[in-house]
Amino acid sequence: MIGKDEPYDAIVVGSGITGGWAAKELCERGLRTLVIERGRHVEHGKDYVTEWLKPWQLAHRGRGEQEVYERDYPIQSKNYAFGEATRHFFVSDREHPYVTPEDKPFRWIRGYQLGGRSLIWGRACWRWSDLDFTANARDGHGVDWPIRYADLAPWYDHVERFVGVSGERLGLAHLPDGEFLPAWEMNCAESVVKRGIERAFPGRHMTLTRVANLTQAHLGRGPCQARNQCARGCSFGGYFSSLSATLPAAQKTGRLTVVTDAIVHSVIYDERRDRATGVRVIDAKTGATREYFGQIVFLCASTLATAQILLNSKSPRFTTGLANSSGEVGHNLMDHISKAGARGVVPGLEDKYVYGRRPTGTYIPRFRNLGARGDAKVGFLRGYGIQAGAGREGWARGADEPGLGIELKQRLREPGPWQVSLQGYGECLPRHENSVDLDPARTDPSGMPLLRVHCAWGENERAIREDVKAQSAQMLEAAGCREVATWDDDGPPGFSVHEMGTVRMGKDPKTSVLNAYNQAHDVPNLFVTDGACMASSSCVNPSLTYMAITVRAVDHAVSELQRRNL
Amino acid sequence: MTPHPPDAPDAIDRREALRRTALVLAGLVAGCEARRAPAAGWRPRVLDTDQAEMVATIAEHILPETGTPGARAVGVHRFIDAMVAESYPEEERRQFLTALAAFDGGAFLARSASDQVAFLGELDRAADPFFRSLKELTLVGYYTSEIGATRELQYAPLPGRYDGCVPLAQIGRTWAV
Repeated sequence: MIGKDEPYDAIVVGSGITGGWAAKELCERGLRTLVIERGRHVEHGKDYVTEWLKPWQLAHRGRGEQEVYERDYPIQSKNYAFGEATRHFFVSDREHPYVTPEDKPFRWIRGYQLGGRSLIWGRACWRWSDLDFTANARDGHGVDWPIRYADLAPWYDHVERFVGVSGERLGLAHLPDGEFLPAWEMNCAESVVKRGIERAFPGRHMTLTRVANLTQAHLGRGPCQARNQCARGCSFGGYFSSLSATLPAAQKTGRLTVVTDAIVHSVIYDERRDRATGVRVIDAKTGATREYFGQIVFLCASTLATAQILLNSKSPRFTTGLANSSGEVGHNLMDHISKAGARGVVPGLEDKYVYGRRPTGTYIPRFRNLGARGDAKVGFLRGYGIQAGAGREGWARGADEPGLGIELKQRLREPGPWQVSLQGYGECLPRHENSVDLDPARTDPSGMPLLRVHCAWGENERAIREDVKAQSAQMLEAAGCREVATWDDDGPPGFSVHEMGTVRMGKDPKTSVLNAYNQAHDVPNLFVTDGACMASSSCVNPSLTYMAITVRAVDHAVSELQRRNL
Repeated sequence: MTPHPPDAPDAIDRREALRRTALVLAGLVAGCEARRAPAAGWRPRVLDTDQAEMVATIAEHILPETGTPGARAVGVHRFIDAMVAESYPEEERRQFLTALAAFDGGAFLARSASDQVAFLGELDRAADPFFRSLKELTLVGYYTSEIGATRELQYAPLPGRYDGCVPLAQIGRTWAV
C-alpha cells in the first residue's frame, strides 16, 4: 500500500490559494506536509504554454472554438477569464459534472491543476471588517462569527507582507487599511469620475482596487509587466499564486511533498481515537484508491469540494458525513451578486490615452448600511461595493457602427470615446436551504458521488441588485457622464466565483461545524480553512480573508500539536 | 511620464532593422496575394473557391489597402473560413453558409467594384445581420493579424508598466490589445 509508510505531520487537501498558504505555514513551522491536488502538475513558467503567444498566434485569434465551448465548457466559458489562451486552466464541464435543479442553475467555476484557481483568480485583496464579522449577530441571519476583526488583523498583516498587495490607504473603518505596495494609477477618465462622485456624494470614495499584482519587485517576484493576461500564467511572478509564491516557499523548507492527480474521496476517521487519521484518494489516472496518513488534516479543496469530501466521509458515528453532528455541512452556501450596474461615456479627454494594460480596476467601497445614525433607509440588509473602470473604446467598436472602407479604417486608427462601467458586488445572506448534497445513486466519472447544488438568490439580494443599478446610474450622472444607462446581465449564483459557507464557523457546535480556529467542533485534528468556513459573505472579495484565516488556523494547529492536544 | 514607443527599442539596432525589412517584405508578399486570392497552397475548408474570393473581396471593401495592407492581404478570408469551419457550432455554420450562398443572389462578384461598394454600403447602413457578422469577423481577423496589430495599430506585448494618462500623440494609434 503506497503511503502507509509515510505518516505525515500534516495533510493539506487542495493546492489553491488556501492550500498553498497552509502548506507554506505548516512547512515553515517544521511540519512534514503532504499537499494533495486532484488535478495535473503545472510547473511555474514552463507550463504557462500560452503566455508568450501574440494575438495572431492563437489559432482562432482569441475567439476560440465556440462549438467545443458549448459542448465541453458551457459553464466555464461564461467566466470572464476563460478564453482560447486560458482554457487549459479550466475544467471540462463534460468531464466533471454536477447537478442542479432545472430552475436553479449554479455556475461552478473550477481549475483542476496544481495551484488551482489561484492561477486564474481576480486578485482583489480587501480586508473584511467588524461591519462584516458582526453582521449575522446584528440582523439575525446565519450564526454569529466566533471571531472579530481584531482576531484576524495581525494575520492580514502577515499575509499582505508576503503576497504584496498594491493599494491606497483610505482610513475607512469598514474597509481596513493594510500594508500596501504603491497603488496602480487611475486613468484620466477615472480621475474625472472619482472627483465627480466624491464631490456629489460626501462619504463615498473611489480608489484603486487593492490587488495582488506587484507594482514593484517583491521578495524575488515581479514586478508585474502590465500585460493584463494573468490567467495565462505569469513567469515573472507578477501576481500572487500558489505556484509563484506559497508552494515555492514551502518547497524551500525541504518538508513539502506534493501529490497530483489524486482526488480525495474521503477523510479517514478513527472512532476509537476520535481523530482524523488521513485521507482516501482516487488516482485520477488509474481509478485505483489509496490512503495517506497524517497527524492533522487541512481541507482546502474549495467551498463545494470540501463539503463534498466531508459529506462523503461516513462512519458509524458520522452517518451523514464527517464532523456533521450539527447537520450544517453542505448548507448556507453563498456567493456575491454581480453583473449589474451602469455605464456611461466620459466626455472629452480625446487627446488622452493610456500606456500599458493595468491588471485591475477601481473600486467604490460600500456606502450603504454602515451602521451610522444617519444611514439612509434603503429597504435591504447589508450592502455592496462597486467595481469601476474606464477605458477608451478600441477597434471592436467598428463592428457595431455603420461605416466602410478607408473612412472606417482611418477612424479605427484612433481610439473611441472613454467608456466607464460600474458593477456592484453585493452581499448574500446565509440561508440554510442554499446547499449542496450528494446524489444517493449516481457518481461522477472519477467515482465520487455526484454533487447536487441547490442555490438561488433571495429577496434581499434582488433588492441590493436594484439599488446597485440606481446608485451606479446616479453617480455617473453626477460625475457628468453622458449616455448613462443601467445594465443587468442577471447571473445565477456561482457566477462571481465567490462561493462560500458550506462548512461554517460558529460558537455553538449545535449550529456550526467549525470553531473560532477552523477546527471541527467534532474532530479536533480536522481543519477547514477554504471558503467553506465562512459564516457570512460580506460584500468584498473573500480571498484575502481565506488566506488570513488559514494562517491563523495553522498557528493554532501547530501550537495545539506541540501541546499534544491533537 | 514618457513611455517608450511600444514594442521598439530606444535605438534601431541591426535586429530591428531586419525586422522592419521582414515586415516590408511581408507586405510585398501580401500585395501579390491580394491580386490572386486565394493564394496557392491554401485550400478553404468550408468555402468553395468562389465564396473564398467573394469573402476576400467583401473584407477588402470593409478594410481596404491604404498606406498599410488591407484585409485581403493579411488573409482575413482564411481566418473567416477557419472560424466557420472550426469554431462555429453546426447550426451557425449551416446558417452562415446558407446566407453566403444566397448573398446578392449569387451576382456579387460579377458587379463592378464601385457597384459592390454601393451594395455593401446599403447593407451596412441597414445593419443587415449577415453583413454585420462578416464585418465583425473582418475586423477581428484584420486587427489581430500581425500587420493589423503592429502596423495599422499599436501593440505592446510587454508594456512593463502602466501610465494612466498620457497624450494620445505619444501612443499615436489605437492599441490593438
